[in-house]
Amino acid sequence: MTVYKYFIKVALKNKGVILSYTILFFILSVINGSTNTQRETNFTESKLDIGIIDNSNSQLSRGLVNYLEKNNNIISTKSDEKYIKEQIFLQIADGVIVIPENFEDKVINKEKAVEIYKDDRKIETYQIQNQINKFILFANATYEDGKFKLWNVNDALDEKVDVNLVISDNNINQRINNWFKTYFNFTSYIILAIYISVIGFVMIEFTDEEIEKRRKISSIKFLKFNQQMYLGQLTIAGFQTLVFILGSIILKGKYIGEVDFFKYVFNTIVFSFSALCFVFLVNNITSNRFVISGISTVLSLGTSFISGVLVPQEILGEKVLTIAKFFPTYYFVKINETNIKSFLDVKYELFMQILFAMAFLLVGLYFSKAKQKQ
Amino acid sequence: MIVKVNNLVKRYKELIALDHFNMEVKEGEILGLLGPNGCGKTTAINCILSLLNFDKGEIEIFGEKMTPNSYNIKRDIGLVPQEVSVLHNLTVKENIDYFCGLYIEDKNLRKQYVEEAIEFVGLKDYIKFYPKKLSGGLKRRLNIACGIAHKPRLIFLDEPTVAVDAQSRNFILDGIKKLNQEGSTIIYTTHYLEEAEMLCKRIIIMDNGKNLVSGTNEELKAMITTTEKIVVGFSEIDNNKVKKLEDIPQVIDIEKRQDDYIIKFENGLNNLSNLLDFIKENNLTYTKLYSQLPTLNDVFLELTGKELRD
Repeated sequence: MTVYKYFIKVALKNKGVILSYTILFFILSVINGSTNTQRETNFTESKLDIGIIDNSNSQLSRGLVNYLEKNNNIISTKSDEKYIKEQIFLQIADGVIVIPENFEDKVINKEKAVEIYKDDRKIETYQIQNQINKFILFANATYEDGKFKLWNVNDALDEKVDVNLVISDNNINQRINNWFKTYFNFTSYIILAIYISVIGFVMIEFTDEEIEKRRKISSIKFLKFNQQMYLGQLTIAGFQTLVFILGSIILKGKYIGEVDFFKYVFNTIVFSFSALCFVFLVNNITSNRFVISGISTVLSLGTSFISGVLVPQEILGEKVLTIAKFFPTYYFVKINETNIKSFLDVKYELFMQILFAMAFLLVGLYFSKAKQKQ
Repeated sequence: MIVKVNNLVKRYKELIALDHFNMEVKEGEILGLLGPNGCGKTTAINCILSLLNFDKGEIEIFGEKMTPNSYNIKRDIGLVPQEVSVLHNLTVKENIDYFCGLYIEDKNLRKQYVEEAIEFVGLKDYIKFYPKKLSGGLKRRLNIACGIAHKPRLIFLDEPTVAVDAQSRNFILDGIKKLNQEGSTIIYTTHYLEEAEMLCKRIIIMDNGKNLVSGTNEELKAMITTTEKIVVGFSEIDNNKVKKLEDIPQVIDIEKRQDDYIIKFENGLNNLSNLLDFIKENNLTYTKLYSQLPTLNDVFLELTGKELRD
């Protein structure tokens, strides 16, 4: 096991890279955790910053605008989807509501009456949805003889209710779930960056043309040599993934029972495998340190951006998501974001990650063979 | 024969790197593979070691056909490549242990071999050093240690003294002699003539992918017409008298190099006295005068018409 032993030794020489990524990750996770997982102990309805685009300008739509004005701060916006999404992303608006021209017809027909742009990760967005649903429900109830009785709607909406927040340990805390989602989504970025750079750098050293010459004329069999190399890669990758899984237990271990922890762990393992296969491909394409460094930074950050690690998938444009679908990170994030009853609910996303892994392996093998022929 | 290469042909598209190259190496000898840069020495070694595919020919090592999967043969082969080929993130000792580990699985035996290799190349004081901290000469020694630690019967040394200082070069050459005395057969490629003359029992001179001649040092020198060169520096000499120099018996050629004249003679007993008589008869005075025996460079020059280190 000499090859394995020295693979690990050389890999650990890159501990600077491993530690800097890992420390950065945990600092961000701790910061995220300190703001994101406090349990709710009281309930107050706060005023939100809402943008409204009223394309209907009907009696009913004006009623809705007035009602929302009472409870929220109305901010200016534009009838431009890009602009609206930017406002949500930059947190200028908690939500933007677009009222269509045929708003009244849609309310009467009980169709989806308004378009709401919001950041689903924020709990405040449920308040917007709630207020609109309430208004439309009451408006629909007062519709009679082709007219809405708006004064009745306003009366009903003005009714105050005493709220007693019942805290139950059986309820899944949304914030805790969000923390786990964010934590594990972010691991995809770190895993990809660390795997590519660390394993990539080690492989550059071992597959250097002159070093390879020595290996080729030695009596160690190619298969045995590769077995030890891959075992080394698996050890480094497995250890790194384990650190992140254990990290989540250390940081939020007491909440594990409240979230689908096994889903996150299993998904992370599948993603790690896929990332490792990608590293195999990269190592067979290039042995240039700068190229590997570039791929590590650009690809890990790039796929994180377009796949919903740093920005929620809901906010990303269709074209961006279409591109993201060509990377396993997208499916990894999708699984983390989905509440599942069983793994059958995310079988497609799991399958896609494994499919990518296989594709990376096959293309990597092709380049490996081509290299050997050279 | 420990190595037998028969009619080896290697082409890179239009370029013929090896043109029906032949080589035989006897057990226990140091064979010098000599030739100018780009003549095909390294290509020949790479083909012999199955590091390169070749177009035609047969290669046998230890009496068996050499292929990329001849692991039994490889067990007894060591290579010291032209470039310093070590892992930069491992120390001197770790490097030797790693490369030895590609041959020797037994931990205790390997430990012993590694210690011996460190001792052999004189790197005992540097075992914890990383290669980048070593001087050029010490790196070369490490390169050698990595190639010989597993005690191979056959060692290929591909220009191991390129770009090293005189002290390290002597250390390396002494080490190679010692390896040979301990029983290893050595194939040594170089374009340094002095090294080949000093080390090798037999020499193959290559040019343009072919082996021009092979034989012992003496056999090769006997193949050429020049048997003696006399270098003379005249205080003053005119062109007529220089031309007259050619009339001295046995003179083949006269070459002017800076202020000196190199007069080449065929085999003859009285070359020096004939020249001295000429100087006396023509009232010439000289500042220096000495006789040289032919070198391998003369052999190469006469065979190819060009200098070995062109």
